[in-house]
Amino acid sequence: MVGMSVLRSAAAFAARLSPLKSGNNAVNLLTRTIPRTDKVAVRWGHGKKMFIVRPSDFYDRRFLNLLQYYILLTGIPVAVLITCVNIFIGEAELAETPEDYEPEHWEYYKHPITRWIARNMYDSPVKDYEKMMAAIQIEKEKADMRLTQLEVRRHMRQKGDGPWFQVPTLNKELIDNSYKSSPDN
Amino acid sequence: MPGDHDMGAYPEPPRQTPAVDKQTALPNPELILSKLFYYSVDLPVTTFRDAIDNIRSRNKLVYYHQKFRRVPDLTDCQEGDYVCYYEAEMQWRRDYKVDQEIVKVIQERLKACQQREGNSYQQNCAKEIQQFNEVTKNYLSRYGDLGAYANGRKCLMKQKERMMAAQAQSA
Repeated sequence: MVGMSVLRSAAAFAARLSPLKSGNNAVNLLTRTIPRTDKVAVRWGHGKKMFIVRPSDFYDRRFLNLLQYYILLTGIPVAVLITCVNIFIGEAELAETPEDYEPEHWEYYKHPITRWIARNMYDSPVKDYEKMMAAIQIEKEKADMRLTQLEVRRHMRQKGDGPWFQVPTLNKELIDNSYKSSPDN
Repeated sequence: MPGDHDMGAYPEPPRQTPAVDKQTALPNPELILSKLFYYSVDLPVTTFRDAIDNIRSRNKLVYYHQKFRRVPDLTDCQEGDYVCYYEAEMQWRRDYKVDQEIVKVIQERLKACQQREGNSYQQNCAKEIQQFNEVTKNYLSRYGDLGAYANGRKCLMKQKERMMAAQAQSA
């Protein structure tokens, strides 16, 4: 018995040194029971469990899970909202414009969500039109001013009697004309 | 959802099914199938629709058709009056859209007529066919090859070309 324990401890030490060598499996040496392969109960319930060697699909599954989660995080509330709007507040119906009534700009749309967006987020198309016309008017005035400036510049350069293109010269009164009266000095 | 189409606009021809003259004691399979369809599909769908309409009828919304005032055309604008050009351009674009919808309506009529008449559409729908041909010919002559970047000026130039061609032809 003592010899057995010495052998077992020696085998365990060998297993520790080189664990990959066959026959050095520490589990088989430390347990007292030896599996009898000829007396195993054979059941065909689920079949023998196989470890199928294939590349990891962890990253793919994780990505798809996260994708599904983040899409449904806002997708489901949006879908529920749109369904409720369509059921409880239906689409508008076309009606004749009553006399002397100017409909608001959002009352020209059918779907309630479009109407809401037009009412709260967009400017009225009339205002957009006027903004565009104001921009065009400003640009037109700028262009006209630039053209007149070029015209005026041309005139002033040619005639020379305008305020532009004046070259400052010395004062005429500073010229000493005293020696010019006697030429043969 | 819009209601069913106006039955008076596309009148169906009078039915010519003969009166039922049953000579056997066997049940009529057509009747059985139609009743089956009614109870399994038609009735649930109609009750669902009525329930939803009931809920919807408490918050009724209306929308109106927008009418635009007519503004001076591109030919009535002074030269250099870019604001006038812009208004004329917008009006031309609205008219372009309206013309496209008109062509679509005429197409719908022709398609409905052809579907109704079946194999004898060429003689029974002569009016619709003639209307369709005329409308598309006019549309093509006005907006034909302007392309995606069409604007009022290009259309006006096309009209000028048309007038010149007509004058050259008549002269």
